[in-house]
Amino acid sequence: MLFDLFRLSLRNIRHRGLRSWLTVIGILIGTAAVVALISIGQGLQRSIATQVERIVGYNTILVTSRGLNLGQRIRLDIEAIRAIPGVRNAIALRTETAYVEGPGGKGFLTVFGYDPAMEEFVAEMDLTLSAGRALQNPGEVLLGSRTARILGADVGSTVSIEGRKFTVVGVLQAQRAQGFAGGGMPLVDVLVISLSELRELFPGPELVQYAVVRLADQADVAAVREAIRAHLAAVGERNATLTDFEDLTRNIQSVIRGVQAFLAGIAGIALLVGGVGVMNTMYTAVLERTREIGILKAVGAKDVHVLLLFLFESGLMGLAGGALGLLIGFGVAWVATAIVSRVFQAQSAFSPVLSLALVVGALFFSFLVGAVAGLFPAYRAARLPPVEALRYE
Amino acid sequence: MTAALVELQEVKKIYWLGEVEVPALQGVDLRVESSDFLALMGPSGSGKSTLLHILGLLDRPTAGKVLWEGLDVTRLNGGKLAELRGRRIGFVFQMFNLVPNLTALENVELPLVFLGVPARERRNRAEEALRRLGLGDRLRHRPNQLSGGQQQRVALARALVTDPALLIADEPTGNLDSTTGREILVLFFELNKQGRTIVLATHDPEAAEVARVRLRLRDGRITERL
Repeated sequence: MLFDLFRLSLRNIRHRGLRSWLTVIGILIGTAAVVALISIGQGLQRSIATQVERIVGYNTILVTSRGLNLGQRIRLDIEAIRAIPGVRNAIALRTETAYVEGPGGKGFLTVFGYDPAMEEFVAEMDLTLSAGRALQNPGEVLLGSRTARILGADVGSTVSIEGRKFTVVGVLQAQRAQGFAGGGMPLVDVLVISLSELRELFPGPELVQYAVVRLADQADVAAVREAIRAHLAAVGERNATLTDFEDLTRNIQSVIRGVQAFLAGIAGIALLVGGVGVMNTMYTAVLERTREIGILKAVGAKDVHVLLLFLFESGLMGLAGGALGLLIGFGVAWVATAIVSRVFQAQSAFSPVLSLALVVGALFFSFLVGAVAGLFPAYRAARLPPVEALRYE
Repeated sequence: MTAALVELQEVKKIYWLGEVEVPALQGVDLRVESSDFLALMGPSGSGKSTLLHILGLLDRPTAGKVLWEGLDVTRLNGGKLAELRGRRIGFVFQMFNLVPNLTALENVELPLVFLGVPARERRNRAEEALRRLGLGDRLRHRPNQLSGGQQQRVALARALVTDPALLIADEPTGNLDSTTGREILVLFFELNKQGRTIVLATHDPEAAEVARVRLRLRDGRITERL
């Protein structure tokens, strides 16, 4: 009998034609919006997880000033950190602003101290060369692409930094920033000299932007973190904080989840409005079919049959809207991420994720919205006294 | 005295139009025995339809008793009444009252759906009922593709498909031309001859002639029995 009621509901929906479609579209838009936002959000989360892994690496601890404020420098001794058991390599980024004169120009520029330990970070730090070679001997300097233009210098030129002569041996390739180690900005207007020479030019306490600590494979992360903290305390640095891959991923993910929940909540309002549309349609249907309800009751339909008949109708419309909304929402998400990736030239392709939970959830929830919206109209239909329903013109 | 099929005792029905009391039935006693064919006659507003609705368990009396085979049904809940309606009573209305979305066959199947009859048996019984009324070639037609007489015969098939103890007809010829109306009345006559209990309401004295017993209603009372 349930199946027969179900078929009858389907028939009634089809019979209303355009009106059913309009109702379904209401649900469709809401579901599509929710599905699009959630699938984009999940895609973003996945992509960020891989990005963070690539940039920071699983086995990496960043030592920064609190709040990741890169303008705030911190005091630490990178050699001491390198000596902590479990640390495979550690580098500290130290830059100073220096007065620089070249053959064709001069000015205050950022000088970057290169540490041989940075070897393995060269790609991440944007220290790839477009001309010349890497630093080998004292008195050598690499120029950022813009610096070379400002100073009118090229490989072989001599520039003076704070009055000391350096020979240009290479020019950095102008590329986009990738790694955290690169400070998050392209190194195009810097000069790179060896860290030891930078220390000679700027004696005094060593203040660094941040340090990147890479751990040995089987290192005890907690112990290393503890040792780094102890070192920071020993040198009197109170403003530094440690971040590892998991911290970073967790923070970013929680921000994304928050934004996503907020947006999905807004989209959920659209779904609610769709539910109101269903309710409206069902109330109209109950009015229009009052006489039919009377007929059904006259031939033996119980209240519960009439209730189910109308609930099936509204639920089915909800479900139809949900199914179509799911497809369209995912389509929208796919197109949107493609456009965003293109416009912002995202380095890693990122695509929306349609999880099973999202599919099931969207279908279930849209059905639920339809059924709940139909509840009051259906109840009203079911409670109609048969005589009054039959008399209704 | 054995229990009648239906018995009304001192049945009153009052409608309220806002503050105004409208008495539709003012104390009706009536026995309907098996194989009876009663015609309720009277002008509109005399209470014919109200009486039929109460007999057919579509409505409850304001006061008085309704006994179905000796059982007082005024206290039964809506679900039980619906079941009794579906199992024991067939209705034919002036407006035919077919469900417009459904084919003739599906309309006739409808009472069986609510009785939970399996689909195959349902279909066979509905087809059989329609064939008996000469509509074997109209099974897949929708109401709006049928003439008035055909629609009323579909309605009659729907009323009979459950083999009800009581067939109730409210002005069944009221929307039909006289020839078609006569055909329908002949059908009722034949049905009663086969033992079907029928209560019919009409304001057309000629139509009432088909019944064995004619009751005249006036102002909510049975005033005459012919």
